[in-house]
Amino acid sequence: MSLLKVLLSNDCVYDCKYCVNRRSAETARRTFEPKELADLTIEFYRRNYIEGLFLSSAVFVSPDHTTERMYECLWLLREVFGFAGYVHAKVVPGVSPELLTQVGLVADRLSVNIELPTSESLSLLAPQKKPEKIFSSMTQITKTQIEQKTLKSAGNMRRLKPAGYGAGESDTIGIEGSRLRDRGAEGLVRRRNTGGHIVSESRRVNWKEKFAPAGQTTQMVIGASPEDDRQIVRMSEALYRRFTMKRVYYSAYIPVSGAPELPPLLTPPPLKREHRLYQADWLMRFYGFSAEEILTEDAPNLDYDLDPKVVWALRHIEVFPIEINTASEAELLRIPGIGNVSVKRILRHRRIQKVQYDDLKKMGVVLKRARFFMTVDGKYYGGKEQGPEKLRALFALEERHTKVGGLETVVNGLDAHAIHAALGGGEKPQLSLFETML
Amino acid sequence: VNYLYDKSFEGFLTCVYHHWYTEKADGIFADSEYQLDLCRYALTVETDEEKAGRVLAAVEKKLSKWDAQRISQAFCSNEPEKEMKLLRYIALGFRRGPKIRLLHGDPVVKDVELIERRVSFEVHRLCGLIRFSEISGPGSETPLLYSKIEPDNDVLEFLAPHFTDRFKNEPFIIHDLRREKALIAFKKKWEVSSIAPDHMDDFKNRTAGEHEYAALWKQYFRIMATKERTNPKCQRNFMPARYWKHLTEI
Repeated sequence: MSLLKVLLSNDCVYDCKYCVNRRSAETARRTFEPKELADLTIEFYRRNYIEGLFLSSAVFVSPDHTTERMYECLWLLREVFGFAGYVHAKVVPGVSPELLTQVGLVADRLSVNIELPTSESLSLLAPQKKPEKIFSSMTQITKTQIEQKTLKSAGNMRRLKPAGYGAGESDTIGIEGSRLRDRGAEGLVRRRNTGGHIVSESRRVNWKEKFAPAGQTTQMVIGASPEDDRQIVRMSEALYRRFTMKRVYYSAYIPVSGAPELPPLLTPPPLKREHRLYQADWLMRFYGFSAEEILTEDAPNLDYDLDPKVVWALRHIEVFPIEINTASEAELLRIPGIGNVSVKRILRHRRIQKVQYDDLKKMGVVLKRARFFMTVDGKYYGGKEQGPEKLRALFALEERHTKVGGLETVVNGLDAHAIHAALGGGEKPQLSLFETML
Repeated sequence: VNYLYDKSFEGFLTCVYHHWYTEKADGIFADSEYQLDLCRYALTVETDEEKAGRVLAAVEKKLSKWDAQRISQAFCSNEPEKEMKLLRYIALGFRRGPKIRLLHGDPVVKDVELIERRVSFEVHRLCGLIRFSEISGPGSETPLLYSKIEPDNDVLEFLAPHFTDRFKNEPFIIHDLRREKALIAFKKKWEVSSIAPDHMDDFKNRTAGEHEYAALWKQYFRIMATKERTNPKCQRNFMPARYWKHLTEI
């Protein structure tokens, strides 16, 4: 979906060290009139350039002043121009609860940036942003959603509890789940006027205003502060479980200043790290993994050579191979090379008849990975059983030949040999069409 | 026998009718694209609304309404031999009934699934990749939204629901240059009609505001790109290069 991602103003009173628009940076300052931006949005939307608006802003004058202007812009869009597209609004930390409620009623999605994984880093790099204020806005959003019964958890998180292969969910920040479930938060429900030239009126009659129906998200900067991946992943998990967020976004830090607290200018952004964090995030949202399972205390960083699901599987080689025809959904999801779609297909197929090895390929299973971790009707297809070290080398080689995080290496005909070598050299290579052609 | 028809959906359904009531079809071809086949007779089929209607009703009854929809969507594909693939699907459906759509493993079903998927992907992509310009319409002062596309498949009528829902009170035209026809819609009513190439000048007249907003959008697109995150391959996955010709921003 393409969004018009725009700041209402870049004239910031805060001085967050990682930001291009910090107070001390020398850059041209501009602020939109709410009417201007609403007009621009609707004209872009009419031409189908965009599907919606992602409205953020620097803090100008004060959080409340900024939010009032943002609200004015969104209100114009919705009520005067009849804009029915998608709106994602940033919440300025420290905004008053009443204003936040108003914004939530005209936006589809709200996000408060957590910015950094720990409060120490936050106070070092963004001294004007206070963790209490960030969390109180987050809490208010979640509570209002509970009150309106619109709270939906991310991915499969509600359905798939961590499968009990290791430690359970971690608990890092100080908001109690039980307290959050309390009813009676200060949400408001009102009716929206009809009107507008794009939206039909019939649809708006009896329209009950929803508060942030597309849920809450947040974002943090990766690589500007010294936290390890375990701290980051545990923080994300807490955000998902405590606030029932829809997404946590990770943003690799691109150096913008020479401040001594930050990585030096010209440091390339850690795109690969960002990619691995997103993979870990997917494991939590769609695969029933807990943060503790993904990263342990003695290995607190994600492996750059291997994706975190493979890393987990190699660390827990004792639970494999898993039998495709009898395993539960949660167990199937642990097999590298099998994702949510293949699992659904396997389960559907199993109700009618046994799954055969050849069926798996048609179902979209990546057999070059999965075959080492499963049996099909009792038979193992991974060849001579490989220890975790050899498998590790094999998968790392495969990874190196595929694209990760915008860094690309060439795929060529040498792969088969390199992989064979990694498997321990000596044995006869498996015969394939490729080799007979040689 | 090879049946030749006029490329219309009704024409195709008439061929299906003759497949059962006249003679089995070995091939169904558009008469304009038919290459002489020495081994088979070619019969030109006269499109017959009534026969077509009976076939469609039979499909809805013996397969399902959903399958009828699937067949009409797959029919607008540019896939060669789509006619025979669809005929085989209908034939199998008459034997197996409404559960045909669940037989994912069957090659006949798979063929049609693939065709349908390609069409619906293109519809989905175009919903995001169509760019309108505001023009002053021929013979009237009211501005109107106009866009040009050159899609692989004949998807105009499948774009109609999305855009009529979006533009509730504004007239708009989506012009398929390749097939010289256009979707013309206003207030939830729409039709697809052919447009002769010499009418192109009717759509040249952009409004003053149009130039301004197009320029703003181009500027936005250029400036917002993060240099460190350029990833052309990923970009082409989401917006294949063949659609770029009619994108305002590129």
